[in-house]
Amino acid sequence: MLKKQEKVFLPDNMSIKKIAIVGNPNVGKSVLFNVLTGQYVVVSNYPGTTVEVSRGRMNLEGTDYEVIDTPGMYSFLPITEEERVARRILLNEKPDIVIHVVDAKNLERMLSLTLQLMEAELPVMLVLNIMDEARKEGVSINIQVLEKELGVPVIETVSTAGKGIEELKKRIKSYGNGL
Amino acid sequence: MLTDREEEILEALWGELVEKKNQSCDISVLKDDDIIKRLSDLDYVEIRNSQIKLTNKGREEAKNCVRRHRLAERLFVDVLDIKKRLVHEASCKFEHLLHKGLDENVCILLGHPRTCPHGRPIPEGDCCKDVKRVPKKIIMLLSELELNKKATISHLEAQNQAMLQKIIAIGALPNTGIRLIQKFPSFVFQVGKSQFAVDKELASCIYVRLD
Amino acid sequence: MAMDYKGPIEYSIELAVEKICDLLKASYFISKRSVALLLLQDDEEIREIVRKNESDTIDDIQKVVKEAKAHFANPITYELALERQNEVRLIIEKAVKIKKETIELRERLSRLTMNPITGIPILLLVLYWGLYKFVGQFGAGTVVNFLEGTIFEKYLNPFFIKAAAHIVPWRILRELLVGEYGVITLGLRYAVALILPIVTFFFIVFSIIEDTGYLPRLAMLIDRTFKKIGLSGRAVIPMVLGFGCATMATMVTRTLPTKRERIIATILLSLAIPCSAQMGVILALLGGNPKAMLIWAGIVGLIFLFVGYLTSKILPGERPSFYMEVPPLRMPSISNVITKTFARVKWYFIEILPLFLLASIFIWLGVLSHLFDFMVNLLKKPVELIGLPAEASKAFLFGFFRRDYGAAGLYDLNKHGLLNGVQLVVSCVALTLFLPCIAQFLMNVKERGWKTGLGISVFILFFSFSVAFVVNFILTRLGVIL
Repeated sequence: MLKKQEKVFLPDNMSIKKIAIVGNPNVGKSVLFNVLTGQYVVVSNYPGTTVEVSRGRMNLEGTDYEVIDTPGMYSFLPITEEERVARRILLNEKPDIVIHVVDAKNLERMLSLTLQLMEAELPVMLVLNIMDEARKEGVSINIQVLEKELGVPVIETVSTAGKGIEELKKRIKSYGNGL
Repeated sequence: MLTDREEEILEALWGELVEKKNQSCDISVLKDDDIIKRLSDLDYVEIRNSQIKLTNKGREEAKNCVRRHRLAERLFVDVLDIKKRLVHEASCKFEHLLHKGLDENVCILLGHPRTCPHGRPIPEGDCCKDVKRVPKKIIMLLSELELNKKATISHLEAQNQAMLQKIIAIGALPNTGIRLIQKFPSFVFQVGKSQFAVDKELASCIYVRLD
Repeated sequence: MAMDYKGPIEYSIELAVEKICDLLKASYFISKRSVALLLLQDDEEIREIVRKNESDTIDDIQKVVKEAKAHFANPITYELALERQNEVRLIIEKAVKIKKETIELRERLSRLTMNPITGIPILLLVLYWGLYKFVGQFGAGTVVNFLEGTIFEKYLNPFFIKAAAHIVPWRILRELLVGEYGVITLGLRYAVALILPIVTFFFIVFSIIEDTGYLPRLAMLIDRTFKKIGLSGRAVIPMVLGFGCATMATMVTRTLPTKRERIIATILLSLAIPCSAQMGVILALLGGNPKAMLIWAGIVGLIFLFVGYLTSKILPGERPSFYMEVPPLRMPSISNVITKTFARVKWYFIEILPLFLLASIFIWLGVLSHLFDFMVNLLKKPVELIGLPAEASKAFLFGFFRRDYGAAGLYDLNKHGLLNGVQLVVSCVALTLFLPCIAQFLMNVKERGWKTGLGISVFILFFSFSVAFVVNFILTRLGVIL
């Protein structure tokens, strides 16, 4: 059954763009949310902590964005309640940008969800987070090739250290105007 | 295309002539049998003075039949868990379905086994030649894997869709490398750069072969 | 990007997808292709949405789905996963290079925490130092004594009492502010001097443990045990969090995969998991008496397992299955621990402070209207039945507001030397099992619905008294002196 999603009524609802942050549990979605919105969500080193859907605002050079942090999802076909909640947000909120956050060192496992999101024709951006750990573990990723193969924007970040965030914001701002 | 019965005759000849290394076989009782005649017409066997021999062509065909039969047995025992007593019968029916191409798939799936469950050798196929020097590989449950040995997931068998989805979510898909780190109290394994803990039920959905 | 999903022999998933796409007339936010693939994988939520939107073609769609499924030996989810994986592999080959892995120090440490031979001693060490020493003895002992005994009793309370005497002319109003159950002398004192430090210390420990990534390891260690009570290792997170604040933990039960697990976890959290405030007071009460503490812990532990086992037998539903990612062990970052502790303590404090103050007001109203005395009298009988002095009924009445509030009431009783060892154990057991606080009751109702929420409370009310009765009976019969 579909539960009614609480709607956020804004005076000029149309001009505000929505960004949904999705991805596996424990890849740093909430940290990214904190960094983008300046709001605090409890983050932890175990899967399944985001139970409430957090919403926050971000302003990029005069454009307002509503940022939505979603519970972890492994696949577009949900098994758990959290995954169902996450997918409902994508279906009902009709986000303008879907930021798929992945743990860069586990790209192989997580890219399948990127493909599913793209298959659903959602407006996807891929964020390779925790790049520092990936490098330490000997994983190197060619961003240009990945971008070309997928056909969506790909950005490297270390969200806990704030690395790559400026680039991410730039790409959010220019999203839709080509890569 | 040979009939089931004809294939079985070829298999029997393989056992007698190739494996037991008899020069020839006495078939005086069967001399006028239609099947023998047809095999002879097709140039699979030569009959002289009630003694039967395989031609080169027949030898090749017999080898493939035996291979299919024993692979089928392996498949039933290792993967489908059919009791040994019933294996032969089931395999007899099944082997005829395993024609060129499919037998290779089964062989690869099972990790190029060298003997059937009764201990008789399985003739090599083309697919086995590439991996000849590697020691015997066999499909086993993840739970049977030795700790810290590298293996590759061969296939998944889940009791229900939900369990299957969980394993897919973890990324434990066929042809992925896997290493078992711990067996008790839960199963912990590494796939790619991540580790996962699962219970016995989920671990028992994953079949692996040693690298 | 279009991927071709090929199936065996002259039938492909692609063909089914095409057929379904043709039958889908409404527009969905996601692509029709995606909707079709989800339908093929028996996605109930999507099927319901499609059923609503495609009343004309739904039967045909179902037919295609059925037909497609019949063509594959494996579930379609599996076929699709394999196809996608191939696609992913092709991309990864082009874009990613991975060097060989090495087993480093932290991996070795990680294995030590997961191997039961070393892992259980490590767990006990964590519990002993983290909970008992740091939260119990230091937080609930030293710090509380200082705040309670010195700051409040010596300075703040006398100051407020004096000030009230000057400023507030009416005795009744003075009672409300600084009386025996006054908003300042009782409500604020309990909240700030007793509960706040304990909760803060607990959340510091929890945040550190959480940040290291230890909890998933604990989950894998405990999974087998939890399976016996109808839960999986995954439930360890709400359970451990419950030792901090059961209300918060009840909210977190949402992460459990099935309704059955969520109900069992809610019951156990309400019944047998003492929250940090309560635990702190209990540790302070029993701290000087290890034997009493062991008996209390043993009884509560047994009840936890027993009720869990029983509920799992009664409640219908599938056995849970356990899978969890085990993240690498990380060094906790101090700033992270501080922010997290702060966020949680703030949440907690905002939640409870009004309740504490409200409780003071209710009690004041109760005293004024003699309802309080009436209730205390009403409770005297059951309280005496479980072998406690009549004065303890006050603590239990407080307990209706919050369990820890009640426990704090016991703390006061004990300070005045009104309880002996057995009575202490009995009252601690009763209060641990006792009704959850109002906040948790409301959370139970919110998460589980009226019927379940109320049902749990009624069950607990009777159950806690019954257990206390039995414990008292046995301990007295055996002539145990603690």
